Amino acid sequence: MGSSSELLLAADSSLSPLLLQAIVKIVVLIGGLMTAAAYFVLLERRMAAWIQDRRGPNRVGIPLTGIRLFGLGQPLADGVKFIFKEAYTPAHVDRWMYLFAPIAILVAALVVFAVIPVGGMVPAVPGLADGGQPISLVVIPGFDSGLLLVFALSEIAVYGVLLGGWASNNKYSFLGGLRSSAQLIAYELPLGLAILGVVLASGSMNLEQVIARQAQSGLWFVLAQPLGFVVFVIAAFAESARVPFDLPECEQELVGGYHTEYSGIKLLLFLVAEFLHMITASFLIVILFLGGWHFWGITGGPDAEIGWLQSLLRVAVLLGKVFLVILFFMLTRWSWPRFRFDQLMALAWKIMLPLGIANFIVVAALGEVRAWYDPKFADRFWEWGLALPNWVTLVLGWLAVAYSGTLVTDNRPQRTSRGSDSHAEGFS
Amino acid sequence: MSTAIVPLVLFVLAATGLAVGLLTAAWLLGPKRQGLTKQMPYESGMDPIHDTRRRFDVRFHLVAIVFLLFDVELLFLYPWAVASRDARGFSLLASQSDRFSRPLVFAEVMVFVGLLTLGLVYVWRKGVFRWR
Repeated sequence: MGSSSELLLAADSSLSPLLLQAIVKIVVLIGGLMTAAAYFVLLERRMAAWIQDRRGPNRVGIPLTGIRLFGLGQPLADGVKFIFKEAYTPAHVDRWMYLFAPIAILVAALVVFAVIPVGGMVPAVPGLADGGQPISLVVIPGFDSGLLLVFALSEIAVYGVLLGGWASNNKYSFLGGLRSSAQLIAYELPLGLAILGVVLASGSMNLEQVIARQAQSGLWFVLAQPLGFVVFVIAAFAESARVPFDLPECEQELVGGYHTEYSGIKLLLFLVAEFLHMITASFLIVILFLGGWHFWGITGGPDAEIGWLQSLLRVAVLLGKVFLVILFFMLTRWSWPRFRFDQLMALAWKIMLPLGIANFIVVAALGEVRAWYDPKFADRFWEWGLALPNWVTLVLGWLAVAYSGTLVTDNRPQRTSRGSDSHAEGFS
Repeated sequence: MSTAIVPLVLFVLAATGLAVGLLTAAWLLGPKRQGLTKQMPYESGMDPIHDTRRRFDVRFHLVAIVFLLFDVELLFLYPWAVASRDARGFSLLASQSDRFSRPLVFAEVMVFVGLLTLGLVYVWRKGVFRWR
């Protein structure tokens, strides 16, 4: 990595390789993400059709030729349609906040990818590399507070939702905005606690380092911290507002949730941002818990020599895993019913948060035990051996949730010997 | 970290440019029609009864405050989590790094988390999480 002056301009006042490299990465990433979001919409619609035993969008192909191409032209047609729709701003809204909300949410959803690696390193490309050094496949290489940035930007999404709902000056929008901001902030906590477990185990908030740590030991964090993984996946579903946590826009109850008053391109920005949240969540699940670009036996360790074949293989492994996780998101969407709002909040505060705290305490305590006996953090026995107590924690946590049952999840009035409504006392 | 800020700012600018560009393109290319009914808030065909800016349930406020407390306290744990894995980083945390300074710091963190849990139990018993 060069210094900042090196990054800005080279000596002959042309663009320095590092700046050029950053620009290329940003352009490729934004283009790729927008395309991916569009085509995942198509995939999701085809998948819905498949599950509901119908055909789905399969008509739009190359215009004027009648070639259908399995409906692959649909996202392009949709995009063009959205641009030619009226950019309507209703008269009763708070104009500037109304415009600002979709921009803020989309920008935050895109900028998260500045610290998310889409692979390992690739060999130097002439003109782009700084003195023949390999190129890291992340926009900001070596950014040590990457997870903090992810965390901060995911909370800006709350602003987008809340501002959109408030500025619309519509009761459905407002209720939708309130509900979804309450949901998003509630699940932010278990998400942070699960991430904390990973940070403890990898000793870094740099996502490249997190992958490198898993590749080094070969022990993915899903194996080392299963309870943290479960908490993280559930919280990530809630953060990206996917079924069964899609209360922000449950059509049957709130018309369209916080974007009821939005139409045309502004609605598109919200929808794209929502899809990007799902893609981000998949990337984070893969990078934090499923080993990133690592796969046993074929991708090599973090210190291996960097060659083209292996780099591309790593990118393929990472994107393949992300794709599988996204498919899981979509399958869940079409096979699960939605939570009720009180159940959602109870799950967040009464189950996920205590489980997250339990996971954190166990991981931290085990780390201390290991530091006592293995202060260099080098022994393989400790690396793998400590996974076992974490699995015990998963089972115990599971049992605790199962046995606490109605105590924490059911908020209906319960008949007790003392009276009809036990809400006044105890945990409810 | 100064090398990080330039790509980050570039990324934010590019993303903002994309969003604003799309909005502008649609504003230039789309039709523009007005109508009295079109300007009404969409509330399932009902005529809106009153303004939206009214009082709402205090529980949202309580949840937001609880979130702020927990989230900020959670952030205090991150520096410790990063440093505790790395022996060199840890020596920055503890004033003298003998064998027992590490468990001591751990015990402090556990007291911190214990207070956090106590707070959770308190607001739980107060019924902040009770939604009916």
